[in-house]
Amino acid sequence: MEHFTLNHHGKGEEGEEEEEVDETLPLGLRREAIPRHVAVIMDGNRRWARSRDLHVRSGYEAGARSLRTIVELCCKWGIKVLSVFAFSSDNWFRPKVEVELLMSLFERGMQEDTGIFLRENIRISVIGDLAKLPEALQELILNLEETTKNNTHFQLIVAVSYSGQYDVVQACQRLALKAKHGLVEPGDIDTSLIEQELETNCSEFPHPDLLIRTSGEFRISNFMLWQLAYTELFFAQSLWPDFGEAEFLKALLAFQQRQRRYGG
Amino acid sequence: MDKLSKKGGFPNLSSPEVFLFPFSPLLLQGLTPSLLCCLCLNRSMDFTRPKRMLYFWIDKIRNVLLRLSWHLVHAIINLCYFTMGMVHGLESHLISRGLLRKYKSLHISKIHYLAIVIESEDACRTSNVIELLQWLAALGIKHVSLYDNEGLLKKSKDIILEKFNGAVLFQDTHENNVLLDQPQMTLEFVSFSDGKEAVARAANVLLMKYIKSGGTGSNQGEQIFTESQMSEALKTVGSGGPEPDLLLIYGPARCHLGFPAWRMRYTEIQHMGPLTCMTYGSLIKAIYRFTTVRQNYGK
Repeated sequence: MEHFTLNHHGKGEEGEEEEEVDETLPLGLRREAIPRHVAVIMDGNRRWARSRDLHVRSGYEAGARSLRTIVELCCKWGIKVLSVFAFSSDNWFRPKVEVELLMSLFERGMQEDTGIFLRENIRISVIGDLAKLPEALQELILNLEETTKNNTHFQLIVAVSYSGQYDVVQACQRLALKAKHGLVEPGDIDTSLIEQELETNCSEFPHPDLLIRTSGEFRISNFMLWQLAYTELFFAQSLWPDFGEAEFLKALLAFQQRQRRYGG
Repeated sequence: MDKLSKKGGFPNLSSPEVFLFPFSPLLLQGLTPSLLCCLCLNRSMDFTRPKRMLYFWIDKIRNVLLRLSWHLVHAIINLCYFTMGMVHGLESHLISRGLLRKYKSLHISKIHYLAIVIESEDACRTSNVIELLQWLAALGIKHVSLYDNEGLLKKSKDIILEKFNGAVLFQDTHENNVLLDQPQMTLEFVSFSDGKEAVARAANVLLMKYIKSGGTGSNQGEQIFTESQMSEALKTVGSGGPEPDLLLIYGPARCHLGFPAWRMRYTEIQHMGPLTCMTYGSLIKAIYRFTTVRQNYGK
């Protein structure tokens, strides 16, 4: 898709010695209406593979390529945080072979892209019940989070073995432990204390401004239940491997329309 | 000439008088190649001013064209949304009249529990709310949850129940997670206090129980609470309603405005537009769409 470089203030020749990052926006997008945090439910990989008579592995690999494209666009367009629902708590009930395939794809993806994350100043955070993951993958995740924790340009939050209900329960659990150690008084738990303990607190912008779900399904499937209260919901018809720049732009434009209607 | 003598033979290159030099007979007689070079350089530097002006105007025109393109794109987008709105309106009208065959038979039995989220600004429009409930009742929907963030619908509960004959309050009919079969419609009135705030109250209930039990499970990794315990605690604090199958949002923004999130893991969500623009046809279409959905629940 072609797009132009547009300096929205009509200036740029003199006096703007700000960021070195190239913030090229497609025509039609306003810089001030770009969401800070976008969340994505990457649905449709298996259907994509089945529709092409391919093995489900091909669907997940195509999905991974789609994710890289969206990460690049986020970095380019000034979105600060992208959260992706990679593997839900319910997905553990899928066939064992498929689950093992997904775990190996996660491991390979993290290993292969470490260089890119470091070069592009991207911070990686992984949320979810990681204790259920293979130990090698847990270790890889911890190392990657540690290695990239000081990166500031962009944050990618990957939800693995995650559910919104799990997130709330683990937040309450943390508060219970704090209460046991006298850090929190029983009866003092309120919404802000719970918010501080949610796993998305690893981000400067924990609440998504925009949620995109692909494959034409109109539900949030237990993803970030607490955090999505005021999030603009965009349900895209295309399957995740087919979700590219044009569709992403459509979602951002829809968010922009909401900014005009709601001022939120 | 004076300038030449003063400057030791070299003219002041910025002086306009230098232009006269080519016409001076003395210069014609005594010009050295280097002096000629200086004159050429001076002439080229004076030619840069029109060039700079030209670049300036090119840049200006480019910016104007880019801005016009940007506005044109916005106009096209707005036109697309307008056209889509017109098409949806027409379709809704045809559905209301029963002219579209596929919407004539709905599998209403698939909807056990329907939630309606209304933007608080519209929540005081009780006549619209009652009309919507009448449509739902006519379609055979038995259990409805009405939500607005600020609790205005809760305050209008008595008016709505009075004007909508035959409806009963939800808590009187709900036992052990089973929606009892009632001839009348059951209505639940929900607000923000039943969402995040209720979870906080439920967390306090769980915490009290944990401390009273001696607080076993001292390690960070051990599971102290479970999701089902949280569900039970929510019932204890009076916010343990069932999970809606379908949630319809009436408001300008496509978000659920804080509807009790614990209850909407797998809820289908449809944005219906502002309450003041609600139509029977769009309601039918939303319900029809829901009845055709197949969920895997992650498996």
